Amino acid sequence: MTLAELLTPGRLLAGAVTASAISLWLLLPRGRESGTARWLGTLLGIAALAGLACAGRRLGSLGEEGVFLTVSLVAVVSGAATVLTRSPVYSAIWFAMCLLGVAGVLLVLGAQFLGVATIVVYAGAILVMFLFVLMLAQPAGLAPYDRVSNEPFLSAVTAAVLLGLLTLSIGRLSAEPVSAAPVSAAPIAAVSADPLAENHVARLGAELFGRHLVSVEAAGVLLLVALVGAIAVVSRGETAGREGSR
Amino acid sequence: MPVSTPTLQALVPALPLAAAIVTLLVGRRLGHRAHLPAVAGIAGAAVAAVMLLFSTHAAVVGHGDPHAADAAFETAKQFDSPSTLWQWATIDEAIVPSPAATPPGTPLSAPATDGSAAAIPFSIPIELRLDPLTSTMLALVTCVGLLVAIYSIGYMHDDPGYARFFALVALFVFSMTMLVSATNFLVVYVFWEAVGACSYLLIGFWFRKPEAARAAKKAFLVNRIGDFGLAIAVFLIWMTYGTLNFHDATLADGSLQPGVLGVTRLEEPGRIIGGAVGTAICLCLLLAACGKSAQAPLHVWLPDAMEGPTPASSLIHAATMVTAGIYLVTRCAPLFEACPGALVAVSIVGAVTALVAGLIATVQNDLKRVLAYSTISQLGYMFVSLGTGTLLGFTAAIFHLVTHAFFKALLFMGAGSVMHSMGGVIDMRRFGGLRRIMPITAATFLVGSLALAGVPPFAGFFSKDEILASVHAKAFPGGHDGHHEPSTVAAAFHPVSFSGRAVSFSGKASADETVAPAAAAWLDGLDRPRVWRVIWWMAIVTAGLTAFYSFRAVFMTFTGPERVPEEAMGHAHGHEAHGHGGSGPHESPPVMTIPLCILAAASAVSGWWLFSTHALSDFLAATPSLAAPAVAATAVPHAFHMDIAIQGTLAAAIGIAVAAVGHLGRRSDGPQMERFLGPLEWLFANRFFIDQVYSALVVKPLEGLAFVAAAFDRFVIDGTVDAVGRLPVAAGSIVRGLQSGLVQRYALAGASGVLLIVLALFWRLRG
Amino acid sequence: MMPAVQLATLAVIADGPAIDGLTANGLIVGAILFALGLAGILTRRNLIVMFLCAELMLQGISVSLVAWSRHHGDWGGQMLVIFVLTVAACEAAIALVLVLGAFARTGRLDSQAWQSLREDNLPRVVDHALPSIDTAAAKWPKLTPAGVLPETDEDELLEREHV
Repeated sequence: MTLAELLTPGRLLAGAVTASAISLWLLLPRGRESGTARWLGTLLGIAALAGLACAGRRLGSLGEEGVFLTVSLVAVVSGAATVLTRSPVYSAIWFAMCLLGVAGVLLVLGAQFLGVATIVVYAGAILVMFLFVLMLAQPAGLAPYDRVSNEPFLSAVTAAVLLGLLTLSIGRLSAEPVSAAPVSAAPIAAVSADPLAENHVARLGAELFGRHLVSVEAAGVLLLVALVGAIAVVSRGETAGREGSR
Repeated sequence: MPVSTPTLQALVPALPLAAAIVTLLVGRRLGHRAHLPAVAGIAGAAVAAVMLLFSTHAAVVGHGDPHAADAAFETAKQFDSPSTLWQWATIDEAIVPSPAATPPGTPLSAPATDGSAAAIPFSIPIELRLDPLTSTMLALVTCVGLLVAIYSIGYMHDDPGYARFFALVALFVFSMTMLVSATNFLVVYVFWEAVGACSYLLIGFWFRKPEAARAAKKAFLVNRIGDFGLAIAVFLIWMTYGTLNFHDATLADGSLQPGVLGVTRLEEPGRIIGGAVGTAICLCLLLAACGKSAQAPLHVWLPDAMEGPTPASSLIHAATMVTAGIYLVTRCAPLFEACPGALVAVSIVGAVTALVAGLIATVQNDLKRVLAYSTISQLGYMFVSLGTGTLLGFTAAIFHLVTHAFFKALLFMGAGSVMHSMGGVIDMRRFGGLRRIMPITAATFLVGSLALAGVPPFAGFFSKDEILASVHAKAFPGGHDGHHEPSTVAAAFHPVSFSGRAVSFSGKASADETVAPAAAAWLDGLDRPRVWRVIWWMAIVTAGLTAFYSFRAVFMTFTGPERVPEEAMGHAHGHEAHGHGGSGPHESPPVMTIPLCILAAASAVSGWWLFSTHALSDFLAATPSLAAPAVAATAVPHAFHMDIAIQGTLAAAIGIAVAAVGHLGRRSDGPQMERFLGPLEWLFANRFFIDQVYSALVVKPLEGLAFVAAAFDRFVIDGTVDAVGRLPVAAGSIVRGLQSGLVQRYALAGASGVLLIVLALFWRLRG
Repeated sequence: MMPAVQLATLAVIADGPAIDGLTANGLIVGAILFALGLAGILTRRNLIVMFLCAELMLQGISVSLVAWSRHHGDWGGQMLVIFVLTVAACEAAIALVLVLGAFARTGRLDSQAWQSLREDNLPRVVDHALPSIDTAAAKWPKLTPAGVLPETDEDELLEREHV
């Protein structure tokens, strides 16, 4: 019996799900740190990733495959590290790494603007905010609550099964278009499959500020409200704190 | 006549009802004028009742010679046409299982005579009837009620429940007038209960006093036994006769439905059911009458009912309510006439009650209790008279009822006046010689006692004489009248016994069909002169006892050295507010003594007047029930029987003499006659241990049953309910741990739930 | 690079004509990120890490949306990602302020510090005691001393506001 016969897609997927669940459970903080668990978890995690990679599809060229595999591995591994690292500061750093990977995936998928915007907005702004808050609030060393997890086994199983289900559904997708007619009556421009298509940003801008102008305005208002709200919450909290200290 | 008869009929109950409602609604605001609506309403009712009495009397007298039975019968037809107020309920096709009321060969009405079920409409009309009996009762109830209400103005004047009392009195007058006006057994039953309820409320008027509350409860419960009998009787009458109406009703299709006591049915003697079923009906009616009229063995409630206010005792427990039983038996006279055994039972019950109550009364020291037992005893007299089943007996009973209402109300009010003056003390051993303090009360009380004792020429003498005459006629059939043989007359009207068909509605028939007629036949067998002679001697002895205890009360209370209990010296009783001034014993205010005087006058002369003119008996003979051939045939010419009068008077004289020897001029707390009675005194003072027997036979077993039921309720039923209540808690405690308050666990549960749903969807899509 | 079984995978899992490979792979990457974020938000107790995990889930969503945009050949997915970015920024701002408020009240960034939603008669959930981290046993790298200790002016050192 060859390996190919042994590894039917179903078994492969089931194995990957099981491996990812156990790996997550082993690697999540559970109070007592153990080197064995760490190594075993890492190995199982690699195996799970390999299995999931098998569920993926062959791309056109070796270079494209290589690029995609690289950036997605960066994204997935550093995402896992974000979740699994004990120290929140390291989590944030790993998350920045993950953002880089995600930006790469977006680029490969043909969304140049989004790839750049993710780095700029997330890594440049949001993540820095996280780090500031961490500096404000994080106690020195590892807090007890950073060393334990909430229901690690059940959560790991839930996440792994969810992943398995999603992968299964993606595998069963067909190429048939979902709806025959395009949603937009007058499409401004069809997105190009080429990641480096010309005028990509220009066409995206036209789409954004043409068809979705109202949404953009709404988003702007939302940002403003969030800004005001955050300030309001902070100032009230300070007032309450001062009153409480008296 | 300015007002039509139906209007007057409706006014008699309507005015007291309106007064009761008005008093209940605004009584508190009226304060010391709260009596006005009730007095006005009852006075209006009394006027209307007297007008009705006169109009009825005029009609009866104006329609020929009432001495002849046929003529009386013709006359009575005029008064068997009740005025309908409204229909209470109507059922078009009520099924009558056994139309046994129609024996074969008498095709008088629509119901089939083949014994099969026949559809007969069942309707309960609210109708007021008018006949001599009803009009007499109406006048009596409203007039005595009016006097009592006036008397109560003085007696109750500073009671906190002043308005409530008058509302209840008015309500009671309403119930009683409706009871005697009703012309349907079911309506009678309703107001039978209403009267009982009013009695309960009035006995328990001072409901904060435990004895009063207990007495009210006792009266109500004992009355329930009688009410049960009435209910059974109503059911039996419906099953037997197919109607509950007294009168003949015209059906929707124009045919005539003969009422139970209607003219149509009474015309033919055979159409009244006798035998086992008839006897059962009559005995159930007798049970009802025993309950309401306090006959043995259901008399125990009446002495305890003296816990109520004295005017209530006077109104209800002497003059009016207790006569409901007499009224019911008189009204159903044709039914009893068909069952000689039931009639004898009525007399026996009455005689035993009269004697026993008289004996108990001789040793009572509570003035009101003496009067209470005296009432029971006199009611027993009336039952004896009713049981003779002759026209003379029935009219004598009503005659005695009327005179007794006068003098017993008088005596009770006199006792109330004494009590009022003595600061609430009613024990005769604690006072004496009161005739100097309260001369009016003493004089009127003496008149009442003379009437009660049956001393000529006071009222009680004549009515008692008629009763004795009716019993004498039964006891000595070949006696001085000679020409009259009641039992043979009654035998002529003995109906065929419908033992077979009539009881077929009782499920397990065979045994009952043999036992019940045998029992009825045994009862019929008691209708013998020998039995009647025993009853006669019991009645004579009772007459002597009556004279003894009434004069014992008079002598103990009003003669001898003047003594007054200390409660009377200090009691202010709110008289200062009324300008009476001073404290200490005193004569009652005029508002109390004037009714006493009126009643005393009535007690003195009503007997002679009614007897000498035969007004009442002739008038009553025109009542349909008493004009029925079976009853009317027993009519005898009016006569004054000197021998009977001598025997009765002799008995009374002996009683008075013994009382005088024992009590006249002595201290009332001194040595008593009773100690010569020895163990008998012990027996009498304990009231023949009837209450104790009830306690042992009924109350204790019921208490045991109640204890078991309470335990069952507490441990089984409550336990089950509690267990049901604990079930959700127990089920909740299983899953309560999930509500840990940790948001992440909630999120996990949510995510897992979504996942499970998606998995289930996948499973379905695969399949 | 891809294992040989991949061909078999394609043949069996997909029902109809295969969709674009890059799209499918992008979706899988998005799914992995989403699942990781979910696992993190369910398990990690640190509030800030929980938010980081939420952002990770958003990243997964973004990748998926772009993949779908590619699949459908229009801009809808990418537009949504832009708005997701916007909302994520708002959410981060508000949420971090709230986290700071929570920290001010409890002195901890622990999600288990907030248990007031629990049943009244249930005890508070308390962590088991954790083994202490032996900091003394930690092996720190040691530098061999080299050169001369620089001279420092003690007075000048005292005048400095910050070290």
